[in-house]
Amino acid sequence: MKNAYSSVAVRSVAIVVIAAILLLAAWRFYSPPLADDWNEEQLSLIRSLSLSQLPELPADPSNAVADNEAAANFGHRFFFDTRFSSNNAVACATCHVPELMFADGLELAAGVSVGPRHTPSLVGLSYSPWFYWDGRKDSQWSQALAPLEAGVEHDSDRVEISRLIASDENYVQLYEAVFGPFPDLDSLRLPQSASPLGNQSRQQAWSAMSPNSQKIITRIFSNIGKALAAYQRKIVPGPARFDEYVEQLENSSATRQADLLSDSEIAGLNLFIDQAQCISCHNGPLLTNHDFHNTGVLAISGQLPPMGRYDGIRTARNDPLNCLGEFSDASPSQCMELRFARDENDLVGAQKTPTLRNVSLSAPYMHGGQLQTLDDVMVHYNEAPTSMLNHNEAKPLGLRSNQLRQLRDFVLTLTAPLATEDKWLKPPTDETSN
Amino acid sequence: MSLTNFSHGENAQAATLNGSSASGIQIEIFSQLDPLQINLMHSWHIRLSESGGVISGASITMNGGMPEHDHGLPTQAQVTEELEPGLYLMEGIRFHMPGLWELQFSIEHGGRVELATIEFKL
Ligand code: HEC
Ligand code: HEC
Repeated sequence: MKNAYSSVAVRSVAIVVIAAILLLAAWRFYSPPLADDWNEEQLSLIRSLSLSQLPELPADPSNAVADNEAAANFGHRFFFDTRFSSNNAVACATCHVPELMFADGLELAAGVSVGPRHTPSLVGLSYSPWFYWDGRKDSQWSQALAPLEAGVEHDSDRVEISRLIASDENYVQLYEAVFGPFPDLDSLRLPQSASPLGNQSRQQAWSAMSPNSQKIITRIFSNIGKALAAYQRKIVPGPARFDEYVEQLENSSATRQADLLSDSEIAGLNLFIDQAQCISCHNGPLLTNHDFHNTGVLAISGQLPPMGRYDGIRTARNDPLNCLGEFSDASPSQCMELRFARDENDLVGAQKTPTLRNVSLSAPYMHGGQLQTLDDVMVHYNEAPTSMLNHNEAKPLGLRSNQLRQLRDFVLTLTAPLATEDKWLKPPTDETSN
Repeated sequence: MSLTNFSHGENAQAATLNGSSASGIQIEIFSQLDPLQINLMHSWHIRLSESGGVISGASITMNGGMPEHDHGLPTQAQVTEELEPGLYLMEGIRFHMPGLWELQFSIEHGGRVELATIEFKL
């Protein structure tokens, strides 16, 4: 009796539990059916994301050699050369690895020692008016100079680097092909190492140099930055499965186009442009507005929450190597970004929106590599946690786990080989650099 | 798309945007980027007029954002020059999101301040 009673109870409890699990599963996996056709408004948003809409690279008036092929050759060689570092082991390419979309797969970058930030991808970056997560640099050439003199990255300096170039015939030739005669450094009686930035001994050696020597050295240094920028302008995305799909939409507005995208990917695209509002910030053919937003990403462990763009714009304005400085090739009126930048309080904690082109190849994610996978990123946006500083601009989405997978599946359709010539994606051989 | 030439003379482009203040000041905006697009820095020519003719010597400031998102403008655009009587050059304009934008103009002229709002969709 007793046994029979309890087995009935166990069975009905089991049925209720199983039913609940099934219902939950059904709720989580249910997705509204796909519409047969996109409407005009959806089509126009979808087209705006297509790579075919990508304009020519914007001119950089602050860099007269931005599109000079010989400058790109010089930058290419330098990018992969580990000799410009205090331990002879760190090059730009140590952290910006071509196969990883010029990121490094680490949470926090590791140069001469471990730094405070995650290495971003460099794909399509030359379209951005601002550089670094917090936008503290206003040109790609000026950005390139900072890691060379950062203690945790290359830990070198402009005098050491100029000396090394002077001692290497190959570099001198490459330099002179772009910038004219390489200055005679012997006549300047330079210290071994010196910089206005960096450790105390470097700074002391720098202040002991004559203003004329300082100027000659910083000119060489900024020219190296301009060549590195010319090289990086080659790093551009190639058409992905998503772009082929958009091309097909020119002929018909049907959501399903042969088998170009799966139902899950199409549903993800629909969420991306509508309910999930990713397109607010990840817009245009590079899926970024290159602007600064607070998205409530948790502070990096062991660090205070970052001030983000609020500090970044102030640093950029005071940077002697900015667009308005004496080493820029632009006239002041051409420095539009710097002249009209905002600096208000809402920029506290705001980071630069990254491209989503090829993002599946550059995990982990966010400015501190805080999120390991694209699935983690989708969960983050679904919850939209409160920001530790200022407010999170993204609102909780209330999506089902199935829909989060659809969003992820859509993002995966944005991965494709770069449109960059192969020779730029590996260290130069002597034929290509001469 | 040309970012260097834009014209607004007798037989030139129609205004990209326009609006008016409560007391009837007309605002016509001729954009260097026409149609407007996201993520590109550009300039505007703004013509101010009322029934009596053009309004010269006014000071114009622009604020704005996206009412549906509580986002402001990504740049601080400014009037940098009055090109000819009643025609002002505004520089440093960029929009960074698709959707509905609302611009608020404040026009200070002859000791009074007039407000005008222009809405448009990108
Ligand atoms: C130790 C690893 C490391 C090295 C070496 C390094 N970088 Fe970086 N790079 C980073 C990190 C980390 C960031 C982001 C830092 C930040 O935003 O504060 C970054 C940012 C950048 C950016 C800006 C990206 C963006 O989204 O705005 C560019 C461009 C770049 N690096 C190019 C270079 C070049 C050129 C070199 C060589 C001169 C170089 N890097 C050397 C780790 C490195
Ligand atoms: C309010 C603007 C905004 C919205 C809306 C937004 N993002 Fe982002 N996204 C950003 C910013 C800013 C970052 C970098 C944040 C950081 O590092 O702290 C980012 C980072 C990412 C990354 C990591 C990229 C990398 O290289 O580290 C992915 C993936 C991503 N977003 C996808 C999405 C998806 C999918 C949605 C929609 C659910 C979305 N984003 C909505 C601004 C936004």
